[in-house]
Amino acid sequence: MNALEVNGLTKVYPEFTLDKASFCVPQEHIVGLIGRNGAGKSTTIKGILRLINAEGSVSVFGKDFLKEEMAVKQMIGYVGGGFRYYPMNTLTAIRKAYAPFYPTWNQSRYEKFLSQFELIESKKVKELSEGMKVKFALALALSHGAKLLIMDEPTSGLDPLSREEFCDIILQLVREEGVSVLFSTHITSDLMRIADDIVYISQGKILAACPLKELLNKYKLAQFATLEDATAAKAIGVKSVKDGFEGLLCDNIHGLKNVTIFEATIDSIMVHLEKANKERIYAETD
Amino acid sequence: MLKLIKKEMRLCLHPTVFIFLSFAVLVFVPSYPYEVIFFFSCLSVFFSCMMTRENGDISFTCTLPVNKEQIPLAKMFVVFGLQCIIMLSVGIMGAIKGAFFPIEQYFNYSGISANLVLVGNGAILLGIFNLVFFPRYFKKPDKIGVPFVTSVIVIFLLIGVFIVLRWVTPLYSTTLNGINSENTGAKLVALAIGIVIYAVLSVVSCKLSMRHFQKVDL
Repeated sequence: MNALEVNGLTKVYPEFTLDKASFCVPQEHIVGLIGRNGAGKSTTIKGILRLINAEGSVSVFGKDFLKEEMAVKQMIGYVGGGFRYYPMNTLTAIRKAYAPFYPTWNQSRYEKFLSQFELIESKKVKELSEGMKVKFALALALSHGAKLLIMDEPTSGLDPLSREEFCDIILQLVREEGVSVLFSTHITSDLMRIADDIVYISQGKILAACPLKELLNKYKLAQFATLEDATAAKAIGVKSVKDGFEGLLCDNIHGLKNVTIFEATIDSIMVHLEKANKERIYAETD
Repeated sequence: MLKLIKKEMRLCLHPTVFIFLSFAVLVFVPSYPYEVIFFFSCLSVFFSCMMTRENGDISFTCTLPVNKEQIPLAKMFVVFGLQCIIMLSVGIMGAIKGAFFPIEQYFNYSGISANLVLVGNGAILLGIFNLVFFPRYFKKPDKIGVPFVTSVIVIFLLIGVFIVLRWVTPLYSTTLNGINSENTGAKLVALAIGIVIYAVLSVVSCKLSMRHFQKVDL
């Protein structure tokens, strides 16, 4: 059974459409939701949590979100890019308002997380650093026994050391607590460190949903001397670079001449797939 | 629902809510349009809604294990509680004024006296406010200004109507005016009519607000 299954999630805005997004988060996996700014990452997460009225079905550990909303929400911990709520309130006041909603709230576990994350409960939210806000949101989510963490760009605005620390905490949670994680980000170095699977979204469409290794093995980064060489090799998302032209190759790297092959990174895959997607859309509209 | 109401009281009430509740003592001010006291209650709702928005409260609450339609209901129940307190306070303060102040000071040249009818008028004002403000607010919880200005315009027009009635109709200027011990039956009827109007308008407001909030994208 998957921790999260999303099927045909669709939301139409006048200027943007989330188009039948479908993917899953296997249990005890960390799934990275990647895409450029405005690609639909936050809309997808809001659609999953029903913060927006979207079509499609969402199930968490086999339970349908709409039919069993209360039970499903008990299993979810949402971390929305740090803790942006109630800046003038103390952590104590927020915890006192938050905890009663969860019958499974474990106060000693919460205090353990406060101690581990070096959080002082008498502080106001506005007095916390961005990293501490993320940790507070995590402490709240985990103290009610959330089995699925859904995080919307939790590492945005964090310095490299805080991001490293965040990744360590998430890895520890998955290994020791058995939680499953879906988190959106555009900082791909975090994903390289901790993600098992990748969901890649572009302009509201899921372009790839597969294990990270599979995605990285699927593509090779190729550098060509001329545009003709790149076109002949059927490279994907060809763009001009300092020493010629660069594009992605997919299962067609044998027998090519005048080409230098590199291992693809998530960044390079994103850049070239985005370019190819944009070219396809231009071609369709012309 | 009780947990949501507690959360509202812990995190969403603006401090001015309690200050404006104390404005019931304005009934001791001579020659003052006492219906304005109820406007301050509406103003405190505006401040609390501002605070709700600045705190990201609605998004936060939607991620909690609650039904979406309960969220506006909890917020409105808290407001109804506060409105009942201000109505009760005005009634008590008016009764104290009637008991201890000379009759010539009890007489109000700017509107109706601080009696049971004033509480009934206040109930109508607050019911109208609930009906005009909340359904509009819960359509777009980020836009507080337009619903508030709209409701305040309606409220002040109605206050104007009550003041005019006090001077041009014998019912308001004599029968329903003055100390509670005179024409008590008529005053109680006016109070009851006000409370029934308040209850009906507030229930309609709840239903509309819940329906509108279901369609909101956060």
